Amino acid sequence: MKKILWILIFLLPAVSCREVLEPKPVDLEIDEVALNAPADVANVQIGLYNAFRGMAAPVVVAGDFTADLVLHRGTFTLFRELVTKQIRPSNGAVSALWGSIYNVAYSANFILDRLPGIAGVPAQQRREVTATARFLRGYAYFIGAHTYGGIPLVTTPNVAANRTIGRSTKEQVLAFVLEDYLAALADLPERPAGPGFAGKNAVRAALARYFLYQREWASAEQYASQVIGSGQYRLDPAFEDVVLRDFPAESIFEMGYTLADDPGTATFGLNNLFVGRREVIPSNQAILALLSAQSGERIRTIGFNPGQQGGTDNGWSVRKYGTGDEDNNNIYIFRLAEMYLIRAEARANLGRVAGANSATEDINVLRARAKAGLVSGVGTPAAMLTLIEQERLYELAYEGHRWYDLVRTGRAQPVLSAFSPNWSSTYEVWPIPLSETQRNPSLRNAQNPGY
Amino acid sequence: MHKLLSLVVTLIVLAGFTGSAYSQSRTVTGKVTQSEDNSPLPGVNVLVRGSATGALADVEGNYTISAEPDAVLVFSFIGFAPYEVRVGNQTTINVQLTALVTELNQVVVTGYNTQQARDVIGSITTVSADRVKDIPVVGIDQALQGQAAGVQVTQSSGTPGGGISVRVRGSTSISASNRPLFVVDGVPVEDGQLALREFGGQNDNALAMLNPKDIESYVILKDANAKAIYGSRGANGVVLVTTKRGKSGRTSISANVERGLTEIIRKPDLLNSRELLELQREAVINAGDDPIRQGLIPGVTDAVDTDWVDAILRRGVYQQYQVSASGGTDRTRFYLSGNFRDEEGVQLNNRFLRFSGTLNLDHNATPRLAFGTNITISRLRNDRVKGDNFLDGVYSGAIKSLPYYAPYDEQGKLIGPDAPGYAGFPNFNPVAQALLPRFQTFATKILGNLYASYNITPSLKFRAQLGTDFNDVIEDQFESSATAIGGYLPSVGGRGYGIYSTGVYAIFINTNTLTFSRTIGDKHNLIGVAGTEIIPRIDRTSSVQGRLFPSDDFTYITSAGIVDAGSSFLLRSGLASVFGDFNYSYSDRYLVRLTARTDGSSRFGENRRFGFFPSASAGWRISSEPFMERFSGFLDDLKLRVSYGFSGNQGIPEFQFLGTFSAATYNGSSGTGPSRLGNALLQWESTREANIGLDASFWNGRLSFTADVYDNYTSKLLFAEPIPLTTGFGSVQGNIGNIANQGVELSVKTVNLDRTVKWTTDFNISRNVNTVVVLATDDPLFRGYDATGVGSTNVVVPSQPLGTFWGLRFLGVDAATGDAIYQDLNGDGVIGPDDAQVIGNAQPDFIGGITNKVSWRGFELSGFFQFSYGNEMLNLSKTGLLNAGEDLNTNQMREALQRWRRPGDITHVPRYVSGDTYNNQQSSRFLEDGSYLRLKNLTLGYNLPADLLTRYKVSSIRVYASGTNLWTLTRYSGPDPEVSTLDGSTTAQGIDFFTLPQVRTVILGLTVGF
Repeated sequence: MKKILWILIFLLPAVSCREVLEPKPVDLEIDEVALNAPADVANVQIGLYNAFRGMAAPVVVAGDFTADLVLHRGTFTLFRELVTKQIRPSNGAVSALWGSIYNVAYSANFILDRLPGIAGVPAQQRREVTATARFLRGYAYFIGAHTYGGIPLVTTPNVAANRTIGRSTKEQVLAFVLEDYLAALADLPERPAGPGFAGKNAVRAALARYFLYQREWASAEQYASQVIGSGQYRLDPAFEDVVLRDFPAESIFEMGYTLADDPGTATFGLNNLFVGRREVIPSNQAILALLSAQSGERIRTIGFNPGQQGGTDNGWSVRKYGTGDEDNNNIYIFRLAEMYLIRAEARANLGRVAGANSATEDINVLRARAKAGLVSGVGTPAAMLTLIEQERLYELAYEGHRWYDLVRTGRAQPVLSAFSPNWSSTYEVWPIPLSETQRNPSLRNAQNPGY
Repeated sequence: MHKLLSLVVTLIVLAGFTGSAYSQSRTVTGKVTQSEDNSPLPGVNVLVRGSATGALADVEGNYTISAEPDAVLVFSFIGFAPYEVRVGNQTTINVQLTALVTELNQVVVTGYNTQQARDVIGSITTVSADRVKDIPVVGIDQALQGQAAGVQVTQSSGTPGGGISVRVRGSTSISASNRPLFVVDGVPVEDGQLALREFGGQNDNALAMLNPKDIESYVILKDANAKAIYGSRGANGVVLVTTKRGKSGRTSISANVERGLTEIIRKPDLLNSRELLELQREAVINAGDDPIRQGLIPGVTDAVDTDWVDAILRRGVYQQYQVSASGGTDRTRFYLSGNFRDEEGVQLNNRFLRFSGTLNLDHNATPRLAFGTNITISRLRNDRVKGDNFLDGVYSGAIKSLPYYAPYDEQGKLIGPDAPGYAGFPNFNPVAQALLPRFQTFATKILGNLYASYNITPSLKFRAQLGTDFNDVIEDQFESSATAIGGYLPSVGGRGYGIYSTGVYAIFINTNTLTFSRTIGDKHNLIGVAGTEIIPRIDRTSSVQGRLFPSDDFTYITSAGIVDAGSSFLLRSGLASVFGDFNYSYSDRYLVRLTARTDGSSRFGENRRFGFFPSASAGWRISSEPFMERFSGFLDDLKLRVSYGFSGNQGIPEFQFLGTFSAATYNGSSGTGPSRLGNALLQWESTREANIGLDASFWNGRLSFTADVYDNYTSKLLFAEPIPLTTGFGSVQGNIGNIANQGVELSVKTVNLDRTVKWTTDFNISRNVNTVVVLATDDPLFRGYDATGVGSTNVVVPSQPLGTFWGLRFLGVDAATGDAIYQDLNGDGVIGPDDAQVIGNAQPDFIGGITNKVSWRGFELSGFFQFSYGNEMLNLSKTGLLNAGEDLNTNQMREALQRWRRPGDITHVPRYVSGDTYNNQQSSRFLEDGSYLRLKNLTLGYNLPADLLTRYKVSSIRVYASGTNLWTLTRYSGPDPEVSTLDGSTTAQGIDFFTLPQVRTVILGLTVGF
């Protein structure tokens, strides 16, 4: 038997069992240690911004592709459905934006849930990170409410509960957004680390837009004025810099990409969609508008290449989103020009069409910069609002505003039914993604009407 | 850990059978030789029957043993018929052993041991390499095609060295691997794709790195009896591959040359410029627009008419050379070979080159101690082209591209993005896409092991093996500024685009076994194996990407203006196991086998790390019963087998049980972001398998058959369960359901004629019924491609099989409007996603193969047919090629000419309306019968008569001609019913999405033996 025992020792493998069965994960952190020390706080905040940035391109797609600014000439059904107004719940853009909203919500909720339990974080950092989480979460829900209507309001990182969560009303979601915004406004720094990060003015800009959409004109004007008056931003003298540069002087809050994390040919890579593949090209309506004298230099937003003209292709391309090496791959969330437009619209609605502190004054700031003819003699608020609708097109084309603007002003039906015979008022909100109504029992019978 | 301990105890018990008692009387000596050439046979076991007394023949074949006069000595050696002799008054007994030849007496590898085929009571199929020797198969997986009942081997495309799907007894898993475990000489080998970069569905294939011409045999383990010993990796079946080894005696040298041509089996039938223009103009008019305004002008638009498919295809040249030598002395045996294979694909610039060499060496140091090595080194260069669902693919681009553009300008220069007449997105220039990019994969494989075995006593052997499967892969890629990525799309290339990536995928394996075999009395036979195995694995990958090259003369990243992405990564994993295998037979009639394995895997959390996989089986050789004696005139062998047991599947990525954060960047800063939800309860997939089989052989092997019935039930399915996005995640890895596979298999071999003309037939047929029994939720899980209108092309739903297609039910074309009529399932008057339903599935009712071989004098003719019946194919290419006008960027197939044009037209092709997606929604319109019968191979060979050869000191010359994929019978309208775009997918198999069809290869070969 001695011999056998001796052999048994040999039978034991040459490597330790534990070493083989419990390899250390490489370049991964498990949940439990991702946020449990003060040093982790900065890291998860970057992670939150990363998630938030994932929302930026889908918002541009929602705001511009669902409206009348582009023609489809590519191959992706998801974009064709948006442009030709045949949107279905199975649409991939519909689920991409939805998913990115809840990615932001999870990251923010994770921080808001864990951060209070971590000792040793400096008080100011604690307040700022909390405020950042609430601001970015608020903006995500703002987009969600205006894209889909009342959506599920996820406020904790509790995965089990969030699997079966039902819809809140649009009013509930927007009330929550306001709560987040106001909390963030208190604690964010006046001057953030840079325009890629959110400070108080980003929140004020968000509040200005929030109240514009809510038709609370005085508040909209007030917050827009605060941003304009802060003196932190100025309009770049050449409009082209807004189109072709990252972080121009008027940038309030902008999603930053570097060469290393440029989206490239990803489905929602805007350069690829607008310039590379030319999956979509400017619509004839958009080209004519931007070519007009009132638009002025803002025609630089798009460009023409005769070599590309032919067949169904008008030869024009959107220039706003460059490649990683062109210092032009960022996506604006808020820039100063929008604040002038918000204030102008608020003032027009308040009856201040011309004169001091009027809509005309604000519009002319932008007209002057665009070297376009100045506005004068607009008599009525209604006429001014029509003008502002066009002005927003010239200024903000391909930054994801158009569809949201037309829907909130009640102009979607006339404008978009002229653009596409397939348009119906159903498309004033996107559908809840098919995957969500399939996977979440509480959403099963909660699809938006018409889908 | 205590499960591991419990098996160590089992092992000790097994080892305990060795308690031996030596008795002594007279000394007998002698020499054991082979009857064939009288050479000595070392290592022969000499046993006194009914006792533990035994001895081993030494290197000269000499033995010495003590035995009483009435004792019977039993001489046994693997591969030779046992020989018994009564001692009587002899003191010198010389014995000649005869090598076994009949199939039933062949020795088969059964995991960690070997057994005579007739004693096997599991469901296994042995495929001798001889059966594929004249077929130009590229890798060891392809060699199994059509050869074994219950084994479905399909080639995903006609790309040389491309993906091959092997399924043993259906699919057991939704998302974990469904590939069988391939074990070459005891070392599990890398399968699946090697290259890091996706090429649009068409993957490369690690198993193509092994040269089938160095293989002696394949053993496919199919039931629990056979494969439970492979535990957590056994659920999908196991293929044991044995390489050729030397035999003592004369050194024989063999040289083989094969040369041939390949071409595509069938081209898609597409429209020419004039036909397409007419169709597109009609589509635009139907949409209420003016074709002239859209630039569709007769005489202008269709001035060029290019057949793009012809432009990118060619006839490829195939060549293959092999030299091998084998031989040895009574103590040392070797097999040495070198091989070169060069196969041009039918797509321009597509080529597969492989150099490989094998050395197998066995040495008997003493009668007790033997050691040896197997080393295979293989080097591969694969010039790849993009395919399938890539817009800038070669074949896929060519089918889709409008015929209005030309590949070359008037000066014969390739038309690039800067030139007028470049189609641009989404068509590009498929000829340039083939010729200009450099997509080279260089792979080196070192597959090797060292072993030593020691006979502690005649009945107890210890064996230790150390091995590795080491794969080193380099991908060297450059797309010039005249290509789609490198030039046309500034978001990636701008001015040239290069990627260089490397990967090392290696396992190391240490297997130690103790084998015990003993005969008690003359009726009880015991064989036991106990062992341990440990398999650490590493994956090291890195890549770097560069853009903006000075010009197309600079193609390496050292010259890139911007190096904008780079990565390196390491992944470790491992498996540690203890196993035992116990065989008992009584009187050669009643056979029992018990096996058990405990596996620990790094892929599961602390509480779920170990899995236990036992099996029990029994066999009854009915033909050896006394009452069967009266049938012995025609019945050689009749055996009933029953087995029951468990095997597992751990084929998922690492660390899925952990909830994790990974690196995230923003605006030049780096941090961490959530990447995955954890599941601490994640565990093995477990398959319970039951099998009943019958083996019968009649009239000295003139007719033999094997039949099996099985019932397999896989539970705790590993699945990335899709969860609502409101959680912040799309899925969580779980164990969420059960799948059943039930089936029958029959293989029949007949010797129809056995005179001057010899004619044999091998036939196998099998039916597998796959059903998803339970899922964690009642909700269907969607898989496959995104599909217009209904979400996805495929669905996983209880009571349906895997590979179920999802979509609207197409009822025909409305003769009045020309629009598609879909079934309004919920009766709400609107066609929407709620009307989507199960429309078919890719699972065949029957699969099989039939091989006929006729030989006459030196001639040999063999034909091999493969068939699949009852499977459906989703011809997803038609969403592009018969798209009812959805877009005007794609050429259309000839079937489009049957479209509805005016009220009253009765047709199955809807009207064409530019930009309209309604008629192009995912529906049963794209589903077709994928059944086929294919003449997979036809070979004619001739062996020159021996008397002619001796004069030239040549021992054999064989010339042969062989053709593959020569003829296909199918109703499928696409070019090839055998392809599958999502190579290796189970939930979305049987989809044809611009997939390159198989190729027809015709070769001439010559083998000379010295």
